[in-house]
Amino acid sequence: MAMELLTESSGVLQSAESRRFAFHGVGGTLFGIQIVNLFLSIVTLGIFSFWGRVKVRKYMMSQTEFEGDRFAYHGNGQELLIGWLKALVFVGVPLLILTFLSAGALAYLAVLAFMPIAVVSARRYRLSRSSWRNIRFSFRGRVWDFALLSVKGWFLSAVTFGIAYPVWQNWRQSYLVSHSHFGNQKFDYDGRGSELIWNFLLHLLLTIPALGINWFWYWARLQRYYWNHTRFGAARFSSQVSGGGLFGLMFVNLLLLLVTLGLAWSWVQVRNARYYLEHLTLDGALDVAAIMQDAQTASATGEALSGFFDLDFDLG
Amino acid sequence: MQLEWRGHYLDGKSAQRRGAVVQLQASGLRITLDDGALLDWPYAEIKQTQGAYAGEQVRLERGGEFAEALLIQDSDFLATLHRVAPNRAERFHNPADRPARLRATIVAGVVSIVALIALYLYGVPALATAVTPFVPVAWEEKLGAMVMDQMVQPEKQCNDPVLRKTIDEIVAKLTATVPNSPYKFRVYLVNDPTVNALAAPGGYIVIFRGLLEATRRPEELAGVLAHELQHVLKRHSTKLILQHVSTGVLMSAFFGDVSGLASFGLEAAQTLALLRYSRGHESEADAAGLKMLNAAGIDGSGIISFFEILQAKSGGEPGFLKYVSSHPDTQDRIARLKSLADQTEQAAARPLRYDWANVKKICAARSTR
Repeated sequence: MAMELLTESSGVLQSAESRRFAFHGVGGTLFGIQIVNLFLSIVTLGIFSFWGRVKVRKYMMSQTEFEGDRFAYHGNGQELLIGWLKALVFVGVPLLILTFLSAGALAYLAVLAFMPIAVVSARRYRLSRSSWRNIRFSFRGRVWDFALLSVKGWFLSAVTFGIAYPVWQNWRQSYLVSHSHFGNQKFDYDGRGSELIWNFLLHLLLTIPALGINWFWYWARLQRYYWNHTRFGAARFSSQVSGGGLFGLMFVNLLLLLVTLGLAWSWVQVRNARYYLEHLTLDGALDVAAIMQDAQTASATGEALSGFFDLDFDLG
Repeated sequence: MQLEWRGHYLDGKSAQRRGAVVQLQASGLRITLDDGALLDWPYAEIKQTQGAYAGEQVRLERGGEFAEALLIQDSDFLATLHRVAPNRAERFHNPADRPARLRATIVAGVVSIVALIALYLYGVPALATAVTPFVPVAWEEKLGAMVMDQMVQPEKQCNDPVLRKTIDEIVAKLTATVPNSPYKFRVYLVNDPTVNALAAPGGYIVIFRGLLEATRRPEELAGVLAHELQHVLKRHSTKLILQHVSTGVLMSAFFGDVSGLASFGLEAAQTLALLRYSRGHESEADAAGLKMLNAAGIDGSGIISFFEILQAKSGGEPGFLKYVSSHPDTQDRIARLKSLADQTEQAAARPLRYDWANVKKICAARSTR
């Protein structure tokens, strides 16, 4: 399928270039970072963990390579701490109170309402703090639009008894991708999602006889579908993630974690990033010189004013 | 000494990268771009954002929010920088420090693991013990109600009036000995074959059908009830939940996963059945339970004979299960209870008069219908 798309999209272009992603991270180094983070978090009663998270993200992104250049993370611990405090005051505490007042149904409703807000603001924050070649990414979707889409999606899933769930998943992906920008250029998404329904139903039926293991294959199919329908300018992404590869990856991860009582977590993260990124390419012409920094990205935090709940914090 | 390095320059305005030659000078970097442009970066204005780990690209930035950046692949560059401008280089990572950093990392790791174990074994239980007396009874009741919501489905309850009345009478006899207790006790019977009973905060007690059927006389059930009532009165389950929740909160704070923080309370409620009291709490509830039975005029040998049933049951299990369940606890507890019973003067015990052989089967009989 990837090949077919490649020839189709590259027909009008000069050449069918294929650009690979790579991950150079080392488990031992990540482990070192995380163990120092743990130490400093204990000493500071957890406050350092925000700065620690920044260190981990900086490392993971700086080890991700595309076209000979690394990605970079520009967040800092202070803004993560402030974002978390805001979220705690405006969302965490009210939710806890609702739960404790035995208003369980109300709490669930609040969480449901909170989900689209969280998805959009987390993505907005994360992309605005990520760069490649010093050009920032950005997310320009709006909470309200995404919330409406979510309600539509939940409704569709409910009335079809879950059968149309992949369609909603695809809407969601489409919204998130097509409102993402790199510099002044936009990502595009052209998946329709209806092709996924049969696959989804097949995997639902297989769940019991296959003990759920089949979902690795569905997840891989979903990833391939998402990426293969994602375009940037004239170029198109392509993922070669496979169910078998994913199953092998997770199986070894599980063994590593069991044998080391969880200490192998850093190595597991590195293995996951490597597998995911090294099965990803961008095919087709890419006019790098035409991509300019877009001043709009600077006001990412200012968007917090656009709505009371529109907090610029991060759940990742 | 090599003073010129090849690298790449990014102007922060376009994604186009330009080749550059970087020259290390005493006061700053002189950058000659391949197209001939010349840039001077004083050391004091440069920020290093990457390249502190072996094999990582060195990234230097200069300017405000969308800074210019200089990328150099070779980390020998940093070592040379520290030789060329030792006074101005403290803002740059020094690869010569790496062995020392590695040693510090190992020390930090060992200290962290020891600290976490100490915190788990001593710190958190001490904290929970200190806080528990200050938890209002009303909060305990809320917490207990939440636990019951999670654990006891209404359709699995046995609500036979005869059984209900029997248990309520025994509980009333026992609670009459603690007239000043702030708790309103509620005993739930759950139609489940598990041989188990548990106490939730705020006066909630759950008896599983399996346990009811394992008893041979009402005094044995009274013994179990007295034991569970003591867990409530001594707030053992409240302390256990506090301990579990604070462990979760600490773990999430230390390991950086703060998003799941709010869910720990609910999760604790669900896992109460999996949590275990410490030996100290168990023997405290055993001893106080025995006293309670004496004060209520119920034969205290019931609890002892019930433990003997439990021990006999676990003795019959094969291999691995036997190893797990025939831990010395039960034997110790029986011995301790027996010596306690011998020491205390037993007030005249009035036997509980129930048709026990039938009463204990009511729950199972009703469920099969």
